[in-house]
Amino acid sequence: MAEEKKNSVKELTVKKLRERGVKPRPEVVEMSKEQRKIIKQIKDCLKEGAKTIPEIASATGLRPGVVTWYVMTLVKYGELSPGEEVDGYYKYSLAKKEG
Amino acid sequence: MDIKPEYDVLIIGGGYAGMEASLTIADAGFEVLLVEKEPSIGGHLIQISKVFPTTDCAGCITTPKMAAVPKHPKIKLLTYTEVKNVEKIGKKFRVKLVKKPRYVIEEECIGCGRCEEVCPVLVPKEFEYGLIGRKAAYIPFEMASPKKALIDLDNCIMCGRCERACPKDAINFLDEPKEIDVTVGAIVVATGYNLFSPELKKEYGYTGNLTRIHDNENPNIIHAFQFERLLAPSCPYHTVCLRPGDGKIPERIAFVLCTGSRDKSLGNPICSRVCCMYSIKQALLYTSAIPYGEATIYYMDIRAFGKGFEEFYNMVKELGVRFVKGKVAKIETNENGNPVVVAENFETGEIEREEYDMVILSVGLLPNGSKEIAKILGVETDPYGWIAQPDVNGNPAKTSVEGIFVAGTATGPMDLPDSIALADAAVSQCIAYLKEVKD
Repeated sequence: MAEEKKNSVKELTVKKLRERGVKPRPEVVEMSKEQRKIIKQIKDCLKEGAKTIPEIASATGLRPGVVTWYVMTLVKYGELSPGEEVDGYYKYSLAKKEG
Repeated sequence: MDIKPEYDVLIIGGGYAGMEASLTIADAGFEVLLVEKEPSIGGHLIQISKVFPTTDCAGCITTPKMAAVPKHPKIKLLTYTEVKNVEKIGKKFRVKLVKKPRYVIEEECIGCGRCEEVCPVLVPKEFEYGLIGRKAAYIPFEMASPKKALIDLDNCIMCGRCERACPKDAINFLDEPKEIDVTVGAIVVATGYNLFSPELKKEYGYTGNLTRIHDNENPNIIHAFQFERLLAPSCPYHTVCLRPGDGKIPERIAFVLCTGSRDKSLGNPICSRVCCMYSIKQALLYTSAIPYGEATIYYMDIRAFGKGFEEFYNMVKELGVRFVKGKVAKIETNENGNPVVVAENFETGEIEREEYDMVILSVGLLPNGSKEIAKILGVETDPYGWIAQPDVNGNPAKTSVEGIFVAGTATGPMDLPDSIALADAAVSQCIAYLKEVKD
């Protein structure tokens, strides 16, 4: 926290880069928005309780392959937790935040 | 950067052969400059679960060398750096390198991963062949060497969160490519191999590419290096061997050998020499991980030519892996998302259709930019684009240019023991050359 505060008073190099006219690619900005939407859909659906990937796909309307990609990524980054295995599929839930 | 103006040897490529050559030449007392175009050394071997036929842990073979290289007093390691020009002047080579911008000050970065935690953008992770995502600010993989972050500016939304979160003020968005000029006495090319892109074999239904699986319409048709990651202890998922299509534990899988090798129609008529054995090994690892799982291997010939290979093949066959001698005509995906293999069985003469949970395409190997590096170095390539060995029987590591040697799979597909043997041949020939030139 203290480190973040220290940095906030320093002029960011990313700001200087933007001032030089370098901008993010519009398709990346769009992709990032889409990603946030998908992650929210998945997390909202898991608020009701643990689900398998086909169950998440069915609840959100997303393709199961897309759900797998996001769920496995979110597990890797500690945002979702794998649970019990039922009939060949694991169930996933929102990770409990530490502290 | 503490770069000297002159080194005894430049090694191009930090995969296993390049690391082996660097360490051995440096141990002999020569100053080595090792250049790797990726952000970490380790090559393909660090992505592999186990090696055949011993099933030794590949990471256990690779990581000691990945740790030793940056610490060696006689080796200077430059990652994320490419060779742009080489000019032979007398007995020496004048080399121009370009170090690509990481947007992270390497000397300051402590590899804590805070930048990655706060970055909001997901990008298919190269190390996992796209099976999961990484962030735009990222460390390439857990065991990366050097374990330093970098920013993928192409996929960055420039929100500045990484820069605010970095406890060492190591993020620098104003970083630029740096040109480096050095003189070296000899060069060892260890640029390794690339994978055949399976989407080129359209009838096999692989609709992603090597890194983007999340927009793949047939995600249960994967390539063997993706499966290698799914089997590895450091796998991208929370447990080994779940299928990418829906996270199911696959109960029936099939391997299709010679995908993109021994295939004139795809411009790669040569045998990739490792696909048979890595598939047999993967079938063994799969049936070990999922004891009730059934594995089938579709093959034209099994080429088990190396030491212990035939015994390994027979053992896996006896353990119940099914081998079908035949040619796969096409792979379809049915309404359940399961791949269906349509193949001619050479033994029965019948066309068979079989449904699986997952199909693995055993892809062939292709040169990794060796045509480009050969052009820069002025060395010859063979008709398939690999670095040519003009005296393969007498001096296998010699290239067509005196003072430039070749190691590992830059010369063509080969397994790990052969790759190490050629790396060590390059070492001895290179050292002999340096001594001869000096005298």
